Parts: sequence; structure tokens; C-alpha cells
Amino acid sequence: MRKLLVWFLVVLSVVLLATEFFTEDKMLCSSSQPKTGGTLRLALASTPESFLLYGSLDSSAYTVIMGPLMSPLVEYHPITNEIRPGLAKSWTVSSDGKQVWFYLRDALWSDGKPITADDVIFTMQYFVMNKYARGNSVDRFTIPDEKGVNKPITWTKINNKVVRAELPSPYGAFLTVLTAVYIYPKHKLEPLIDKNDLASVNKLWLTNVSPSEIVVNGPYKLSQVIVDQKIVLERNPYFWKKDPYGNQLPYFDKLEYLIIKDPEIRLAKFIAGEIDYMAISAADYPRLKQIEVAGNAPYVTFASKPVGSTPSPVHISFNFDTANPKLREIFRKLEFREAMEYALNRNRIIEEVYNGLAIPGGGLMLPTNKAFYNPKVEQLMRPFDLKKAASILDSLGLVDKNKDGLRDFPDGTTFEFTILVQNQPKDYQQIAYIFSEELKKIGVKTNLQILDSSVVGQMFGAGNFECGIRAFGNQPDPQLRKAIWQPGQQLYYWHYSTMNRNTNPPSPVFSEMFDWEKRIWEIFEKAQIEMNPKKRKALYDEWQELYYKYLPVIFVARQMNFFGAHKSLGNVVQSPEGLPTFTVWTTFRK
Amino acid sequence: MENLVSFIVRRILIMIPMMVIVSIICFTITELQPGDFLSQYLDNPRISPEQIEALKRELGLDKPAYYRYFLWVRNIVTKLDFGYSFSYQRPVFELIWERMGWTVGISLMTILLQWLIAIPLGIFSAFRPYSFWDYTFAVIAFIGISIPEFFLALILMYFALNAGYTYIGGLFSPEFIGAPWSLAKFIDLLKHLWIPLIVIGVSGVGGLYRIMRANLLDTIGSPFITALRARGLDEAVIKRHAVKNALNPLVSIAGMELPNVFSGTIIASIVLNLPTIGPFFYNALLNHDQYLVMSFLMFIAFITQIGNLLADIALALLDPRIRIA
Repeated sequence: MRKLLVWFLVVLSVVLLATEFFTEDKMLCSSSQPKTGGTLRLALASTPESFLLYGSLDSSAYTVIMGPLMSPLVEYHPITNEIRPGLAKSWTVSSDGKQVWFYLRDALWSDGKPITADDVIFTMQYFVMNKYARGNSVDRFTIPDEKGVNKPITWTKINNKVVRAELPSPYGAFLTVLTAVYIYPKHKLEPLIDKNDLASVNKLWLTNVSPSEIVVNGPYKLSQVIVDQKIVLERNPYFWKKDPYGNQLPYFDKLEYLIIKDPEIRLAKFIAGEIDYMAISAADYPRLKQIEVAGNAPYVTFASKPVGSTPSPVHISFNFDTANPKLREIFRKLEFREAMEYALNRNRIIEEVYNGLAIPGGGLMLPTNKAFYNPKVEQLMRPFDLKKAASILDSLGLVDKNKDGLRDFPDGTTFEFTILVQNQPKDYQQIAYIFSEELKKIGVKTNLQILDSSVVGQMFGAGNFECGIRAFGNQPDPQLRKAIWQPGQQLYYWHYSTMNRNTNPPSPVFSEMFDWEKRIWEIFEKAQIEMNPKKRKALYDEWQELYYKYLPVIFVARQMNFFGAHKSLGNVVQSPEGLPTFTVWTTFRK
Repeated sequence: MENLVSFIVRRILIMIPMMVIVSIICFTITELQPGDFLSQYLDNPRISPEQIEALKRELGLDKPAYYRYFLWVRNIVTKLDFGYSFSYQRPVFELIWERMGWTVGISLMTILLQWLIAIPLGIFSAFRPYSFWDYTFAVIAFIGISIPEFFLALILMYFALNAGYTYIGGLFSPEFIGAPWSLAKFIDLLKHLWIPLIVIGVSGVGGLYRIMRANLLDTIGSPFITALRARGLDEAVIKRHAVKNALNPLVSIAGMELPNVFSGTIIASIVLNLPTIGPFFYNALLNHDQYLVMSFLMFIAFITQIGNLLADIALALLDPRIRIA
């Protein structure tokens, strides 16, 4: 028996020595004397629907899979957002930018089997590029070649540890989109796939699968699922990262997600010290801070400049294709949209809606995004000035003809439009209300239409609205928001006539585009195939200016971000922007 | 007895067309809800229109409503297959079953508690009508009936939290969730359980109490009690007879409680973070997870009918007058 144990230890040490570890950044591991063991507790809004990223569209599943359970080839640095090695220890790009070689590190799956090129190819073939997989990324990995024909990126195995990606043309955001490709184990999953029915991948690793079957390459592996109560992960002894002092990561033995649907209860549990870390809303922040200042809270709160993709920055849109021809004509005039921006009281909104905890604008790119933010947009934002708004409306011929206090069209009918807004989150409604109140002061009649979010989404999707209040989250790279901000795309919902839905995929209609829209369209096409970061930035700088100048939508405000962390957590450090840095593999209990 | 059997058989046969009608109504209502399962993904830039189309075909949402309805019914009749959940991609029956344990457990505990409190109080009040305690209980009962459950939950939790009591939300402290049963775990459960039991039980206690009191008062005033008294029976024996007779209507109420066990406390369960079927069903409704919603509604309809049937049978067994009629 003892012999066996010794033999086992020898094998284990050989295996561990064989792993080519990634040394975590000191920024994330500031404490040189971390403690290991214990349980980290976080909150989750619902039981994940699946443990296969590509088989699900569920955000709880994303939370548990992306990072804690699975690793990608390349990943974002949690603080700087720079792209750094993941399962690929390095990569090289050919001089024409059309071939990229990835060199995989010697690392192991949580069942001890080596991670190889086969796993990468398998993930690409059956999940990422499988159009029947619910969470596929076919769109992101299909780009036009030099002739403008859409082609998929192809992957080839060179040897066990090297894969090559072949791109139809250079692709500026290639590594960015790769950060969302988490590699899955071929040896576990391939036997379960019905090759004749590629939609069968959606049925893999559902919530009824035994946790031991779920083999991972992230810091934790699945240990227990207690339906609607708790998900328990335990440390993956084969994880491929260590700290700068030579300790294997993660520090915690267990990571538990408490499933709590109601945000009030989540907050109560956090205040009680049962949850170690969570994002806090602007509305709750003052109360939590109060408790903290009083000195008896088990947590510390952090207020940070806007970071990350949520909460989404709110914008106001005017439908260029609205059914009413008189409104359509007015909405298409830049002067009108300028007048609307002058009538938008951003400061009042920030004070009244967000307790002063928001920044004006904040659309497209966040000021904290060093790679892409163009600070010039701050000068381009038109300040609140009702007089100016009124005089522009006068010059457009929208004056009060019948002396009822409301502006009229030149033909004498009342100028009015409906603002469509969803009932949740509450701040959208409040913004709509303040906006309409200010407009009333200059004689513009508006009607608020507040409906359930699913209905509102459909109405926007069908172009069935006049004026709308909506929000889309920020992403680190503009390429990832192409589907929203490029004219002729599925979410360019204020000007759908720029998209021809009768082709597959839908195609742009240039004859319907304004000149500045054509330029925006072009910028996205150019930046997509630009590999030089400086040139990409210049293109996206121009794009941001065009948006703030021509106002396809008017950006209102973006909330700050708030976090709370249990006092006993180590390696939670605040960045200059105020952002607490926190990863599930570098934090520990002091 | 023969009468009873034919009565039961008739009732069971009537259940079949009933279920069909209920299913049509439920399906129509879920169809009338604006949007479908895929609406929630429409404004997600990660999901392309082609993906939405593909999913539509995969889930059969491109087919007309009547077609989907008949397909669903056919699978139930021929294979006892109640369909798949769109979001979990697993058979709905499995998903509902997984969540049944605590749903039934908590509800049965609540019902038991309700009866244990309401019946003795009702009897107590009925034998001392218009006394100080009768009025006090009446006021409490009215408050209990009229206060919304979720509101009571929030108030209780607020006061508990402010008093520094941390056993709030859910059924266990995090470390006991999923742990094997032990004395410590049981004590932890009790520390969490009292708030849900009060919240869910309080309106039922009020209602039952009022029914029990009214029934018993009626019975006490009825001629047969006077007759018993005239025959010189002991007051304790008379009371026993009165209570026995007053309990009759409560038996049919007990039958009605059965569906409440599964669906009665959705909002309170969300607020209290209970791992019951309620919040799950609520989510399915919001997400248009149609077969999950339908199957759950059918289940409730079925249980309601079974509950009524059981109540009628129990009543017939208890009360010979009903059997003969």
C-alpha cells in the first residue's frame, strides 16, 4: 500500500512538473503571504441551464463557465484588458496577417489528461463553428476575404501542441473574439455527439449530468449542484496558473455560488456577510456605504469609474423610418436631433436618477477604456440649453400656430411624438420622464409609452416606434458591437431601411444611408481587417466622433460601477479608476 | 357502497374532457402572451438573426400554434412525454420533479401548522363568542387575511435583519446546503423556517379560523344541540358532537388546499428565496418557456380535480347523509 502511495506521489510530481505554468501578474497577487484553503461564496441569480458554454444562452451559465470552470486560448488581463496568453502560451502571426500559429502550453484537464491541439480543433468544429449550437460564434469567425465574400476562419492541427488559424483576410479583432472561445475536452465530449444531428451538442452537459463527468481546464471543477440553492466548485489541482511566489492557484479550496433570485435577498445576505463579493447598484450604494461608515459592516464598498459592460449606458433614438411621414422627415434632420440634445438635461438626470453617481454620455466606449476611448467626444456633446433648442425648432418651422402652448407642424397639426421605453430597469423610465418634462417647457408634446421589456424589444426589432429609450452594454473592442453600431445591421434599429432583410445574411442598402452613415459602415469594414492597433484606433476614433456629431442616437449617461467585498478577502486591490481587482483564482481569506 | 364506486368512476371520467378544455384554455392564454421564447434574445448583439431563425426551427416555433398544440397533446397521449423545456433542454417532467421535494415539504408543514393553530382557536372563539379574546383573534385574523404575503415577508425580514438576526432567505445557512443531515443542520433549518411558515401560513390561519368559528357557532345554535342538552348530556359530550359536525365543511376545504400546496406562494417564495417550484414557474412564464408552463398548469389542474375528488370521497365516508344523497 505504501509502495503504491509513493509511486502515486512520484507520478503526481512528474505531472505537476510537466505543467508549463503561467505566472499570474503581481498586480493581482499583491499579497506575498496568501493563505490557502477555505470557501469563497458568491451569488448567482439562477441555476445555470447548462455547463456547455456553446449549448446555452444563459447568463448564469456564462458566469460559472467563463473563468471559474473553463479557460480560453488567450484571455483579457483582468485589470488592463490587454490580451495575454491563456491555454496558448504564445502565438505568432504571418507577415500578411492571414495565418496565426498558437503554441499550447503543457497543461492538463482536471482528469489529468493533457490538453492538446485536438481539443482546440474539436471545440472549433463542433461548437464555435457549428451553426446548430445555441451559443455558436459562426458570425464572429466568418469574415470577408479580399473580394468581399464571407468565409469562415479555418483551423489546422500542426502537431499535438500547435494549431494554425487561417484567416480569409487580416482580422483586427481576431484575438479579441478568441478570448470568448473556451476550450472543451474532446475525449469527454466527442463520444456523446450524434454526428448526424449537430444540434445534439445542445444536450451535452446539462444540469442533470454527474459533476464528475464535467472535465475542465479552469481554476475550479464542478463538485455539486443543489437545484435552485447552491452550486459547489472545488479547486482543480491541475490548474495551469501559479502566483509570483511559486504557489499553485487558486488559493481557495472551494467556490460556492448561492442561488438567490431576488436582488433584495442578495443584498441582505451580502450585508450579513454570507456573500463575499458582488456588484452593487447605484441605488443601493449609499445605504451600504452608510452601514460601512458606521463601522459595523463585514464588508468594504468600492465606487469605480464606469467599467465593464454593465449597467448599459442609456441612449435616446429617433426612428428615421417611422410610419408617420411628417415625423420621419423631421427625425432625419440633424438640426432636429441637435435640438433634442440641447433639450436633454444630463446633469439633472445624473443628480435625480443616479444620485450623482454617473457620467454624461458614456456610449460607444468608456473613458476607462485606454485602448479605444476618444476623449474628443466630451467636447462634441452639446450642453443643456433650452433656448437654443427652442430656436432650432423655430427655424425648422415647428412653431405654435394655434396658441395652445404646443408646437405645430407647418400644416397646423400638433407636433408630437411617442417615447417608447421598457418598464425595467427603473432608470430608463425616469430618464424618459425628465426628457419629456424638459421638452414640455419648449412646447414639444410627447407621450410616454411604458411597456414590458419583451414587448418593447419586439417593437424596436420591428422598427415600430417613434422615439425610444434603450441601452446597449459597452465592450472592450468596438468590433464586438458591430451588430449594433454599423448601419445595415440587425440592431441598427433606428434606421432599418439601411438593411435588406430579404438576402441571407441581410445586406446593407447604401442608397438609404446618409453620407456619414456610409462612412461609419466603411470604418467598421476597414477596422475589421486592420491588424495595426494604431490604425485601428484612428478609425474607431473617427467613428466615435461621427456618432457624437451626427447623433444617430443621443447618449444620455452611464452609471458608475459599485462593488462590495468581504473584509476578510485578500488580494482585492483598488485600481486608480477605483475598480477593485478581484479574480476567483487570486483572492484568498485573510 | 356501490353508489360511491359509480360516483368515483363518473367523476374520473368527467376529468378527461375537463383536462382537454383546461389545456386548450391554457395554451391559448400562453399563446396570447406577446412575444415568444426567442424575444429575450432579440436585442443581444451576440446572437445573429440567423441563429434566431435556426432556433425557431429547432424549437418548432415557426409552426402554427394549433399544430404545436396537437403535437404536444399527441406526445402526451402516446408517449407520456410532456415536452422539453426550451431553456433547460430537458424534459419538463424531470425539471418539475427535481423541485417537488421542498415544495411539498414546506407546503405540508404550513398546512399542518395552519390547522393546528386555526382549528383550536376557532373552537375556542366559538365557545366564547363576543368575548375579549374572540375579538382579539378576529382582528388578528383579518389582518392576516388582508396583508399581502410578500409584504409581510419583507417586513419580517427587515425587522429580523435590523435586530441582527441573520438566518434570512432560503432554508439553510450556506454551509448546510447540500450537507448530509445532522442535528446542527436541522436546527439551522428551524432557524430559517419560521419566517416562511409565518408568511405563507398566516392568511390561511385567518381564513380557516373564521370558517371554523362560524361553522361551530351555527352548529351550536342548531336544534340537535338543544335536543342533546334536553336529554341531559354532559356539556363536554355536547361540545364534542358540535365540533364533529362543524368540521364537515372543512374537509372539502382540505381538498381545495392541494393545488395551493404547489402554486399558492409564488411571490412569497421569490422574496424569501425558497427553492420551491413557484419561482421556477414564474421564470418560465417570463421566458415563454411554453411547454414547461403548460405542463405545470396541467399538473395544477389535475391536482385540483384530484383534491376535489378526494374531498368528496372523504366527505361521503364521514357523513352518511351525503352518501345516500
